[in-house]
Amino acid sequence: MKQLYYDIKKCLGCKSCEIACSIAHSASGELFKALREEFLSLPRKKILSSNNKNYPISCRHCKDAKCVDACMAAALVYDKEKGMVIYDDKRCIGCWMCVMVCPYSAIRPDKKSKVPVRCDKCKDKDQPICIKACPTGAIIWQEESVNK
Amino acid sequence: MKQYVVIGNSAAGIAAVEAIRQADKESKITVVSDEDYSSYCRCLISYYLAGDIKEEKISYRPQNFYKENNIELLLNKKVTRVDPKKNRVVMADKSQLGYDSLLIATGASSKFPELKGIKKEGVFGFRTLKDAKDIAGLLPVVKSACVLGGGLIGLKAAYALKKRNIDVKVIIKSGQVLSQVLDLEAAQLVQKRLEENGIEVILGQDVAEIISDEGEIKAVKLDSGKALGVSLVVVGKGVSPNIDLIKDTAIKVNEGIISNNNLQTSVPNIYAAGDVAETFDITLSEFSVNALWPLAVEQGRIAGANMAGGNLNYEGSLGMNSLEFFGLPTVSLGLFRPKNPEGFEEIRMMDENSQIYKKLILKNNFLVGAVLAGNINNSGLFLRLIREKIEVSSFKEKLLQENFGYPDIMGLVKDKEQVYV
Repeated sequence: MKQLYYDIKKCLGCKSCEIACSIAHSASGELFKALREEFLSLPRKKILSSNNKNYPISCRHCKDAKCVDACMAAALVYDKEKGMVIYDDKRCIGCWMCVMVCPYSAIRPDKKSKVPVRCDKCKDKDQPICIKACPTGAIIWQEESVNK
Repeated sequence: MKQYVVIGNSAAGIAAVEAIRQADKESKITVVSDEDYSSYCRCLISYYLAGDIKEEKISYRPQNFYKENNIELLLNKKVTRVDPKKNRVVMADKSQLGYDSLLIATGASSKFPELKGIKKEGVFGFRTLKDAKDIAGLLPVVKSACVLGGGLIGLKAAYALKKRNIDVKVIIKSGQVLSQVLDLEAAQLVQKRLEENGIEVILGQDVAEIISDEGEIKAVKLDSGKALGVSLVVVGKGVSPNIDLIKDTAIKVNEGIISNNNLQTSVPNIYAAGDVAETFDITLSEFSVNALWPLAVEQGRIAGANMAGGNLNYEGSLGMNSLEFFGLPTVSLGLFRPKNPEGFEEIRMMDENSQIYKKLILKNNFLVGAVLAGNINNSGLFLRLIREKIEVSSFKEKLLQENFGYPDIMGLVKDKEQVYV
């Protein structure tokens, strides 16, 4: 199962990944059109800094996912085959339980569209869009390490 | 081959049978429920009543769940008695079921205050899908309703009724909405939002009597003497654990069934999880009933795994609520209002223009509670700081800042960091 890893030494905090992520998840898929959409597409990834280092934060698709436990609408489910937490927007009622329990605060509420914003690993594409967007190659897409 | 019996078919019961099946593919599992329906999302009944979701979206597991997992489901069966000496449960219809390992996940029931007229037709609790359906059935002939109690259940019922164009008054004995969940500041933001959306909130008043005529509700009389004309009453005065079935047994019970750090009761082959269980609350440092969906799932899963021979430790419960009314998200964690404020420290911010309020409660530089309204980002981190008992002095100033995040606590959490290389 492929997961996202980050080489922190290489991350400049330029937010190219955030922008690419927003555009990729917009309705139009294009920057200038995306800016005018009814629901502004929010990035599934956020760069945060601590002690002068930059850390991309996004959903880790935990196996013992707290968000799945907390989801009282069964909209979040851990898919063992795909190795990811999948989300059914038709079931979600926007209660934000998932936001409350995410141990990384990697889920944010989109208050306008009532959708929890979280990384879906760009499931319809060959690989997450943030990988190519990163100018320094800090984002790594590789098989899950065995110790996890 | 063992026989597992699980009483209750909601969050804790389902999580338990999933965990049992994962560890034990062979043994017999029987789930007993006194309700009419296959598993459903109990917390969604207000959205169903409001018309936000259809009945098929309220199911919690697919139709074939029980068959696929080889689970026997007995619906409409009420367990009236547990007999730990003979390892069996007795149903209302006198039938019996033996077990090797038993989970009591019977949940809780709506509390009805002792009040003249409370037993009349047209007075409802708001706990089950049946409640929601019964209320929905009456709505074509209802113009105005009142909700007794300003807790989460009461307010969710009020929201649903308002959404169906019913005039709603919420009558609250205390001086604020959600007094069991929020402090006054956050409660006032929620109340404002409710009132802006047409829900009338009456504080500091209680209902003295429900007045009916020829079987139909006509009014409620407040203790001030004033009468309000309504034709439907929903009672949201809290819930109490369903513990009747263990009366006169050796199973230790207080408000709920005492469930230890293995989710075991005082009888070793009987477990208790979910809203019926009284577990150790890590923020109160005492046993307490925390009837909350995420906790029920967690407890059910651990209880199930342990019933099937595992040895998982339950680290304890705490209050945690996430609610949203008319676009105002609100989260409450742990000790949001300590009984005795001495020794506690508060960090707070209020931005009235954007309707954002945040308060953190600390003791000796450990986070013990939080209230967030309007902006609930980072609530998961606050919950983690409370649960993992992480000392915050090195980043205390940053806690309520926009740029606070996981990197600030990364080196202090229990799990080893995996994704940063």
